[in-house]
Amino acid sequence: MKRKDKMQGQDAPTVFFSTRHYFVLLVLVALLGGLVARALYLQVVEHSFLADQGGQRQIRTIETPAYRGAILDRFGTPLAISTPVDSVWVNPAEILGNLDALKQVTRKLDLNYRDTVAMLKQRASREFVYLKRQLEPELARSAAAGIEGVYLQREYNRYYPAGEVVSHLVGFTDIDDQGQEGLELVYQDWLRAQPGERRVIRNRRGEVIEELDQVKPAESGNDIYTSIDMRLQYIAYRSLARAIKFHAARAGSAVLLDARSGEILAIVNQPSYNPNRRTTMSADQQRNRALTDVFEPGSTIKPFTLAAAMDRGRYHRGSNIDTSPGYMMVSGHAIKDFRNYGVLDLAGILRKSSNVGASRIAMSLEKQELWESFKDYGFGEASGVSFPGESAGYLRHYSQWQPLDHATMAFGYGMSLSITQLARAYALIANQGRLVDLSLLRKEPVVATKNQISRHVMKAATARQLISMMAEVVGPEGSAQLAAIDGYQVAGKTGTAKKSIAGGYQKDDYVSVFAGIAPASNPRLVMAVVIDEPTQNGYYGGVVAAPVFQEVVSNALRILDIAPDDLPTLASNKDQGA
Amino acid sequence: MNSRAGFALLLTMVLGSALSVIYVKHQSRVLFADLRGVQKQQDRQVIQWGRLQLQNTTLAAHSNVESRARKDLKMRLPENVELVRLQ
Repeated sequence: MKRKDKMQGQDAPTVFFSTRHYFVLLVLVALLGGLVARALYLQVVEHSFLADQGGQRQIRTIETPAYRGAILDRFGTPLAISTPVDSVWVNPAEILGNLDALKQVTRKLDLNYRDTVAMLKQRASREFVYLKRQLEPELARSAAAGIEGVYLQREYNRYYPAGEVVSHLVGFTDIDDQGQEGLELVYQDWLRAQPGERRVIRNRRGEVIEELDQVKPAESGNDIYTSIDMRLQYIAYRSLARAIKFHAARAGSAVLLDARSGEILAIVNQPSYNPNRRTTMSADQQRNRALTDVFEPGSTIKPFTLAAAMDRGRYHRGSNIDTSPGYMMVSGHAIKDFRNYGVLDLAGILRKSSNVGASRIAMSLEKQELWESFKDYGFGEASGVSFPGESAGYLRHYSQWQPLDHATMAFGYGMSLSITQLARAYALIANQGRLVDLSLLRKEPVVATKNQISRHVMKAATARQLISMMAEVVGPEGSAQLAAIDGYQVAGKTGTAKKSIAGGYQKDDYVSVFAGIAPASNPRLVMAVVIDEPTQNGYYGGVVAAPVFQEVVSNALRILDIAPDDLPTLASNKDQGA
Repeated sequence: MNSRAGFALLLTMVLGSALSVIYVKHQSRVLFADLRGVQKQQDRQVIQWGRLQLQNTTLAAHSNVESRARKDLKMRLPENVELVRLQ
């Protein structure tokens, strides 16, 4: 305040104002001139230096890699995993100016130097040329290290360690990591990786020196734990492949279930393919027949015909049915047995697999009753797994049944289902009448036992009686002695169906089937096997399909540590041996 | 007096802020370099993990284990007569 007063006292206000005015003007002009000079300096004198700097410190948007999720078996063994690989690429304009370096790179990558140079000269106008694709990252890195104009691009290679053993289930992806078949297709959205994007400043050598921001975060895919047990899958695959070869069959499938939870422990098909080398693959090899192909199940349906009658209280285990003279006529067609079995009880009908007996029982039911029961048992309905091309099978509505259909339905003609559906129906018997939805994914143990989605569709007493009757099928007088497993009680049923063609049945082409439950006293495993058109060494289900069941299930019981329930036979074997 | 003190205070604050910008920027560079290093290390380890997984699967392939057990170790499944019940 003091100073201000003093100044005002000494100078006239107007004079002071004009001096100050010019002074301010001068300062402003000087500043402006400074800016112009600086701009000129930067634009003209420093231009090349700055342009260089700009080129070196570029802002780029780069991709953050993300992995496609793995497909694993129930214990985490990888069935499909993505591993990183590097592709080496060059900018021809850059590298052709430095041939020594190129020579060095070609030597490391095991490429012909002269061919490479010729190839690059041809493509000299481009900015991006691959030298070699999908290399081990370490090799690629050592080849490109410290050499200008040689760059790496991260890619992912989908690898299927289990190869053809589980290829039908897992499926495969295409070059863009899109699921094309199997679980890779079903769970595409869950498995899919979404590469992120970020804006970065890179130096002249392409190294990121500063990250500006993340445009989009990278999201790796999620893993899938399937219900498959690779140990059992392998055994099932090997055993089925052996049987197909031995019987010179056209194709075959097998499904092994955990009876209680409905989880599919093994699902195998023949013929198969190696998903790591798909160039020679045909559509015939690609199908997951166990889920997509249907067939007439033949005699393996008989237990369900009996169940439909037993559940309605019409018959019980000891009921006698007269099957003589070994055939019966239904609307002009003969339904025949292998020979005349005379009077059989229900167990005998299963043991001898009598078509006449099964038909008589079916005819004693109304069409609608039989249809309703079959419907309840899950025939003609999807099995609960989601899989591309899965077939629900075929069960005609009873209003369209002819009298002959009514009779043949009893032994599995006139309807069709997949081997997986057949296995599910046997699991229903194993589960005391509860029909469980099957699953290709591992279930949490708590969920598997407590929150089981299931329907009670058959009386528990009926299911128990069926199991004990089917145990006789595998017994010394039954048709499936080859399915017997030392130390365990096994229940099962064979089937041998003539293949249907348009307008009738083929004379010599058969489908051999076996479905079984073990251990019979406390069912844990259910397995169904189908072999299509066996041409050598027999064709009966008990000869062709039952041994596959025996081999796989006996190993599975041992591997899963399931206690033997038939120790007397073990002991008696011991006595014989001693 | 008041305005001078205020000016000094502001000057100090501006200088302090300028210095801390320099310091923080430096810190960010250092940390970013660390981050890059760790990311590279992670990348290497992911690659190795994938390779080890594949190696593990190949070596533990059931066909491989089975043939080693049968041929090299001369193992076989016991016959029933060789089984002893412990309970």
